Amino acid sequence: MQKYENGSANGRQTARTLTPSLPSVTVHFKSTFPPSSAFLPVAGERPRMDLSATPSRSKSKAKSSPAKPIAASAEVQMDLCTPSKATPKRKSKSVTSPPPTTPATPSTVRRSRRLLDTPTKANPEAPVKATPTPTSKGKRAAPSPKTPAQREPKRQRRQPKKRSYYRKVVYDGGEFEVGDDVYVKRREDAESDAEDPEAEECRVCFRSGGGVMVECDMCLGGFHLRCVRPPLRRVPEGDWSCQYCEAERAGKAMERPKPPEGKRIVRTAKEKLLASDLWAARIESLWREPDGTFWAKVRWYIIPEETAAGRQTHNLRRELYRTNDLGDIEMETILRHCFVMNPKEFRDANDAGDDVFYCEYEYDIHWHNFKRLADIDDEPETKEDPSDEPYNANTDYISDTDEDSEYDEEEEPTSCSLARRNQTHELAANSRKGRIYGLQKIGIRKIPEHVRCHQKTELEKAKATLLLATLPKSLPCRDKEMEEISTFVKDAICNDQCLGRCLYIHGVPGTGKTMSVLAVMRRLRSEFDSGTLRPYCFIEINGLKLASPENIYKVIYEQLSGHRVGWKKALHYLTEHFSGGTRIGKQANQPIVLLIDELDLLLTRNQSVLYNILDWPTKPNSNLVVIGIANTMDLPEKLLPRISSRMGIQRLCFGPYNFRQLQEIIISRLKGINAFEEQAIEFASRKVAAMSGDARRALEICRRAAEFADYRTKQSGQASLTCNRGDGVVCMGDIEAAIQEVFQAPHIQVMKNCPKFGKVILVAMVHELYKSGLGEVMFDKLASTVFSWCHVNRELLPGYDTLLKICCKLGESKIILCEEGSKHKLQKLQLNYPSDDVTFALKESPDLPWLSKYL
Amino acid sequence: MAAAAAESVASQAQAVLRARLCDPSFVHSALRSSPDTNYSKLKYLVASSVSEACNNSVLLLGPRGCGKAAVVDMVLDDLKKEHPDAISLIRLNGMLHSDDNCAMKEIARQLCLEHQLSFSKMASSDDNTEFMIDMLRECGLAHKTILFVLEEFDLFAQGKQRLLYSLLDAMQSLTSQAVVIGVSCRLDADQLLEKRVRSRFSHRKLLFVPSSMDDIQRLVEHLLMLAKDSGLPAKYITDYNARLTVSFVQYDPSLYYACNIFRAVSDMNMESGFLSMENFVIALSSMQRQPKMDSLQDLSILELYILVCMYRLEDKEQSSYNFTSIMKEYRSIQEAYKTSDKYASTVCFRAFEHLLDRELISFADSKGRNQALEYRPVKLLISSRELAQSLKLNTTCPAVLQKLLDRERYM
Repeated sequence: MQKYENGSANGRQTARTLTPSLPSVTVHFKSTFPPSSAFLPVAGERPRMDLSATPSRSKSKAKSSPAKPIAASAEVQMDLCTPSKATPKRKSKSVTSPPPTTPATPSTVRRSRRLLDTPTKANPEAPVKATPTPTSKGKRAAPSPKTPAQREPKRQRRQPKKRSYYRKVVYDGGEFEVGDDVYVKRREDAESDAEDPEAEECRVCFRSGGGVMVECDMCLGGFHLRCVRPPLRRVPEGDWSCQYCEAERAGKAMERPKPPEGKRIVRTAKEKLLASDLWAARIESLWREPDGTFWAKVRWYIIPEETAAGRQTHNLRRELYRTNDLGDIEMETILRHCFVMNPKEFRDANDAGDDVFYCEYEYDIHWHNFKRLADIDDEPETKEDPSDEPYNANTDYISDTDEDSEYDEEEEPTSCSLARRNQTHELAANSRKGRIYGLQKIGIRKIPEHVRCHQKTELEKAKATLLLATLPKSLPCRDKEMEEISTFVKDAICNDQCLGRCLYIHGVPGTGKTMSVLAVMRRLRSEFDSGTLRPYCFIEINGLKLASPENIYKVIYEQLSGHRVGWKKALHYLTEHFSGGTRIGKQANQPIVLLIDELDLLLTRNQSVLYNILDWPTKPNSNLVVIGIANTMDLPEKLLPRISSRMGIQRLCFGPYNFRQLQEIIISRLKGINAFEEQAIEFASRKVAAMSGDARRALEICRRAAEFADYRTKQSGQASLTCNRGDGVVCMGDIEAAIQEVFQAPHIQVMKNCPKFGKVILVAMVHELYKSGLGEVMFDKLASTVFSWCHVNRELLPGYDTLLKICCKLGESKIILCEEGSKHKLQKLQLNYPSDDVTFALKESPDLPWLSKYL
Repeated sequence: MAAAAAESVASQAQAVLRARLCDPSFVHSALRSSPDTNYSKLKYLVASSVSEACNNSVLLLGPRGCGKAAVVDMVLDDLKKEHPDAISLIRLNGMLHSDDNCAMKEIARQLCLEHQLSFSKMASSDDNTEFMIDMLRECGLAHKTILFVLEEFDLFAQGKQRLLYSLLDAMQSLTSQAVVIGVSCRLDADQLLEKRVRSRFSHRKLLFVPSSMDDIQRLVEHLLMLAKDSGLPAKYITDYNARLTVSFVQYDPSLYYACNIFRAVSDMNMESGFLSMENFVIALSSMQRQPKMDSLQDLSILELYILVCMYRLEDKEQSSYNFTSIMKEYRSIQEAYKTSDKYASTVCFRAFEHLLDRELISFADSKGRNQALEYRPVKLLISSRELAQSLKLNTTCPAVLQKLLDRERYM
């Protein structure tokens, strides 16, 4: 439901104030498009982008030099006019899927010369002011301004002095910043482009202004509250559609009011956009050509009608797709701002004006498929109420990191699509280089309906929050440990001469070891971002994910320097680095925090890997901090003394959770969702605490129980279509069933359902074992027992080989342990489960009543 | 003329039945109907993970031949129909890909194949791991679920379990959307997992038990009853079904094993055109052969002598014996009874080797490979009961041999 003030010219545009941050144009980065290799996500990269490293300032001098040969500027123009690679694709697409509204060659029009009738408001060149300011700390959008000279593609290196890039431009009375969304003119000859109505007209009285208007959710027409029949007092909650749409939906014919004679309906920019008479785009970069014109590189948005799949039924009226198609346009063609929001912002933006659009997916124009925008689902729902959460710090840094990742996602396709132009041959997708090109292809042809218009029930919500993958809103019960880790790391970072810093963290699986460390590191990064902490470098390695222990050198070196070498060479470089020789990487003097998960996997025969890694921190000026995580408490004691003396000093134990803590964890996750009975949670957490204290286990049991309940309601819903209230709640029975599934071995049930002679063999084994008192029995002996029993009880005698086959089958499912079948009568057999279980399972077997007397 | 017509109808019916038995989708379609089977549980589990975009891992446990793989296949078929391009399937088998690196490579290869990407054999296993994690993420963003079906799951749970760890650890992120289905016949397969892998595993287990007698009978009826619209004469169908129900009434459970049925159908009496009890019995006896007995049947007299000698030696509590001691026993028998079956030592040795080849006897241990065959200790692999039975059945067997065996037992 969109509602907006009409009549006042500011009703639309000031509802959302322009981002107030930077004062004006910041002459900023030169290397806008480094080749993709510079963008490989290296964990250590971010901290190295420290504040001092802004060589772009020196570049701004070059800009001021007035030497601009005319030939060169002509070259620039030419360059801009050569169609991008995307252009022919786009054309071909408009052939294959003919949306009637699309003009024949949009790309040429799009890059059109300046339109004659635009400057209605002000003269175009006048209000441009460009005052360079130093880049500030918020500039994550600056892709590594470290070595522009090396990383620039050729084309730009040829005329590095011509263009000057800006972060923000005031143009035509509007402020345009990198990252803003704008309307772009599409057609020169469109008559209606001349006027850009500030206010929409009512569809009934055809006057603009005069009171609040309400928007129909189906036809997007605006109506005065008083013009609607029956008149409305307030803007209604939820969906609302006008009486005409209602009538159409009901199948009745109802004539829409015609505009009075001589008056055309003036379309707003939004309508033009949705009728594909305008483009929407997102500004990726802004620059000024040598001849003084302002240009922008934009990423186009696309309306659903123009995609290959067409408008799908679940598409919202105001939905747009972001494409991976970039284009250079002149600032002239930019009309004004619009606001493309992600689903969350869109939900909250109730009266943000007319120019609000919704964007959840990215559309690949080469492969015609869709992909979710990565930043949307990663976003934990913490931003809503940070105030009443006990862990403010946590929520803050979580949202912070997500903005970071958002940035990474956005930049990656840019570099890819640029790189693809140069890439003529196809690389294998699973090789290192080919990955970023190949994975572009992944996407779905049509967005499945079920993900969009699915109302989640309480149980489904509960299942979603109980997922292990869901980042919890808070991490309860681990404050003390996190505090300790945080002081340890901070000490190490702040102290210049940190020596022998090594922390060993141990605890059983599922007690939040890795999560706590990562949470601390995120918090520290937000501290670094706010400028209270020195820059540092964080490397995270999982021992189980290394192909061999020695590979750890390779990985560390790669993260530090970005290059790949063999592990021996890497070891050499690293040793040199830490012992104060030649340093690796750019920010050589930053402290390095090395997190090694599953440390025990790095054990080799002579333990040299662990020794090397733990020896580095003791070197002077190494600036290295090692945090090791493993399960066993006494790992240092098991190692060679020279290693344990280096590692075992500072330890931190993560004990298993007790039932109160588990309960708190589950309840904090399920906050606001009414799907679990109170005792059910307590029962589950008590059970798990008694067994292992593993939080993952507890969450999984609850999720499984929710699944049981959901399954039950769905089955009963199918059967009777009446869903009573009590069904939608997880009760004790569900938890019980889930625990049964997790903890109970299934062998008793299988024994009960064994074939007949399988049962006889099992009982005979128990009998023999009892008689002999030994742990194992020979097949020969067993067979003679079975034969004699069968003889006595007049059972059909099985063949010797049949018995052997059944034995092997039982052995296969590990009810009994047996040697391979080729040993025939010499085979030794052993029960894998206690004999009481066999007795219990086979006490009453309906098909063999005589069996129980031998037990 | 009438007989020929009846025969053609019968062969037609036989063809119908054979086609049914060979079509797994028809055989398993009986599983689909009832609500509380493993099929519907698994389907709910996988379908809800597809539609709700979550990660899951499930183990299917049960002895062989209980329909684990059949259920998985059925569920996958259904889901492929429901969500045509939202599912990509990776199949691994523990027998083939128990090595982590090669399993990773296979995953990468199948992912590439599925998404029409080019695949390089040269990529290192680190590359493949990264590729898999990236693919999980990208597919998650595109609302595609990757289903990993790991057959012989227990064989993946060996060594460091790096594959399972990275697979299950990759599923701990929100963007990924994957389901791991492990299929194993070992009931304790989840106990094999290392503790940190087990902690990441989501502990859904579906137990497949051997089907009960009623189930089997229902299945057989489902398979063998001819439907009204199968294109055969109506009279024949009613006759046939009536006959079949009669034979069901007096059934013996072991008669209806799946391959047994096919055999029985193939043996169908063409003249009468009906399945009778004898068909099943004959088929069963041909299925349940006793390979040991069969090979005992066609041994030569000398070989039987050697076996009996070995048996006598074992009966004398002589724990370790070799060819020379067997020969000594053989000579003593020959001296005592003066039979005509006296052969030279080399001939006996040939017979001894033949027995070794047929695995009726074997060496006692694997030590002393370079020792001469005569001196390596051997063991008898058949029981006295079998030996006695085969001697009884063998018509050419000299009476003295049976006596030798019997005397040992009864005196």
